[in-house]
Amino acid sequence: MNSLIESALLTTVIATTIRGTTPILLAALGDTYVERSGILNLGIEGMMVGGAFASFVVALKLNNLVCGFLAAGAVGLALGFLFAVLTITLRVNQIVVGLGLTIFAHSMSSFLHRVIFGNQFPILFDAGGTNAIPLLSGIPLVGQAVFNQHWLVYVAFLLVPAFYILMYKTRFGLRIRAVGESPWAADSSGVDVNRIRYVAILMGGLMASLAGAFLALGDLAFFVPDMIMGRGYIAIVVVMMGKWNPAKVCLGALLFGFAMALTSALQVAGINLSPDFILMMPYLVVIIALILFVRSTDLPSSLCIPYNRGED
Amino acid sequence: MTDLTSVAKADLKPAILSIFSICCSLIAGGIILLVIGKNPVVYFGLLLARGLGSSLGVTESIIKMAPLLIISAGLLPCFSAGLWNIGAEGQFLVGAMLAGWAAPLLAARLPCPLYLAAVALLGIAGGMAWILLPAMLKARYDINEIITTLMMSWVAISLVTWLVKGPINDLSTVPAQTTLIPLKYRMPMIPCTRIHIGLIIGLAGLIGMHWLIRRTTVGYQFRVMAANKNAARHAGMNIARLTVYSLLISGGLAGLAGVSDVLAIKGLFQGNWNPQYAMAAIPLVFLARLNGWAVIPLAFFFSVLGVGGEFVARELGVPVFFVHVLEGLTLLFFAVSEYFEKKWEHQ
Repeated sequence: MNSLIESALLTTVIATTIRGTTPILLAALGDTYVERSGILNLGIEGMMVGGAFASFVVALKLNNLVCGFLAAGAVGLALGFLFAVLTITLRVNQIVVGLGLTIFAHSMSSFLHRVIFGNQFPILFDAGGTNAIPLLSGIPLVGQAVFNQHWLVYVAFLLVPAFYILMYKTRFGLRIRAVGESPWAADSSGVDVNRIRYVAILMGGLMASLAGAFLALGDLAFFVPDMIMGRGYIAIVVVMMGKWNPAKVCLGALLFGFAMALTSALQVAGINLSPDFILMMPYLVVIIALILFVRSTDLPSSLCIPYNRGED
Repeated sequence: MTDLTSVAKADLKPAILSIFSICCSLIAGGIILLVIGKNPVVYFGLLLARGLGSSLGVTESIIKMAPLLIISAGLLPCFSAGLWNIGAEGQFLVGAMLAGWAAPLLAARLPCPLYLAAVALLGIAGGMAWILLPAMLKARYDINEIITTLMMSWVAISLVTWLVKGPINDLSTVPAQTTLIPLKYRMPMIPCTRIHIGLIIGLAGLIGMHWLIRRTTVGYQFRVMAANKNAARHAGMNIARLTVYSLLISGGLAGLAGVSDVLAIKGLFQGNWNPQYAMAAIPLVFLARLNGWAVIPLAFFFSVLGVGGEFVARELGVPVFFVHVLEGLTLLFFAVSEYFEKKWEHQ
């Protein structure tokens, strides 16, 4: 009996770790390319909120989950484009634009939510759910935890090797890395620095909004404006911890997924901690992770510096 | 004579650019209102009428300036030093929570001025404590203070909620909150008005910080550090110490803003109370281009928006969040105006 409870607890911990990792991983994978190309995007949090909101509203109104995800993608690309125009073409301060974008997207989502739904927080009943993979989901202990998840979870983890290959084995990846380290050298060997950065930012926007859509449509099936709760910033930290390497970024994201799962597991296991107290944990883990893993000397040399052809 | 006009021009250009960004954000906001089927002229007309048109509105707007001024005063030195304290919200909440907890305990035991000073110092200490770790990490290991101050802010939100539900909860009331501070132990008013002295603290802090940045050695060192950290280091400035100083000032003043709101207006601290003043203070300080004097009219404008927005929300059904939308837009348009400024300089 006791071992039955223990194995159930273990399955829950693994399953919640994976589910909690997914949104951070999606956002962090996209941001890996953004940061590596020399851009600090603090707007990720806002793009996640925007993606979550757009996907939820469209999926609810059209009663179609696919349209919801498409809407999230569109919002992510639009916000990414706005960020790119301001920071690359107009070369204005990335930190100011990122903060402005997050405040704008967050308050705009709260605003439109109130306009559309008033004080109600409707639930999308056909959202969420899992897609079990035949055979694999039958493996004892881990089968149900790993192979019975939402389809976007599988996509997120399959994207890790894809993004790794894209970064280290393709010409595009080489250019991304070159542009972030020394844009002048990249430019002089014929790379269009600004175009590469545009592509990276659009990728980042798309992935961040998908991460938001996963929270709204895959994980929770409802939308509240504060639901992202700093996951966008956590993704930025995960990228720094993973040194812009998609494989290591995945490990970092798993660490935060585990921190979140452990806190809920503590409650399930009957350890009596206030939920407010538990909520502080992931943020403290961020600070500890920064102390242990991140040194500013490792940052891409051109991070946060706009590239201006013919100057400097 | 030419000297005077050039000085006037130098001051005028940033003012024009700031007004330009505010106007653009109001226009963009108007378009958003049109899209959701509200009349922007009616909305903004009513907003100004409620925030500015009556003595009640004006008084409310002036009262609401206090926390904005105090937080902005704190942001001045750290932004001038090129450091980003984005977690003023958390420092504010810690200061407010400490005030809500300590004020009822100290009120009857200390003579009034001493009691006020003690609570204020406690709030300042709380705000400083909340930024101490990010400041040390920045100074010692150069760990990004944007992320750490933000994370500490999230920690603060959960921590104060937890404290107010448990250890510092006044059990005689149903909602989770601290003991109500009796009216006679609240912050004193400016004579003959309903405006509490938080306004004066804010103005004094702001002008003090403006003076510190532009007229003292430390302030000069802050500015050199923002312009070129390596140059500052080679000139023998102690970057680590300057980093910690500017961030501590910032956190302390954000904590003081929390004290002022609890002692003067709320009278107690509630767990779910979070006015998010930092969201307005950050655009404000940028729009003012780190000029303390320019913060004052801008703070008034933002609090008119806030007060008017709250009134109009009830009358026209435009959610209060719209004011935050305008704040975000202002920050984005400020960034655009930076581009035009650079372009003008090249010509």
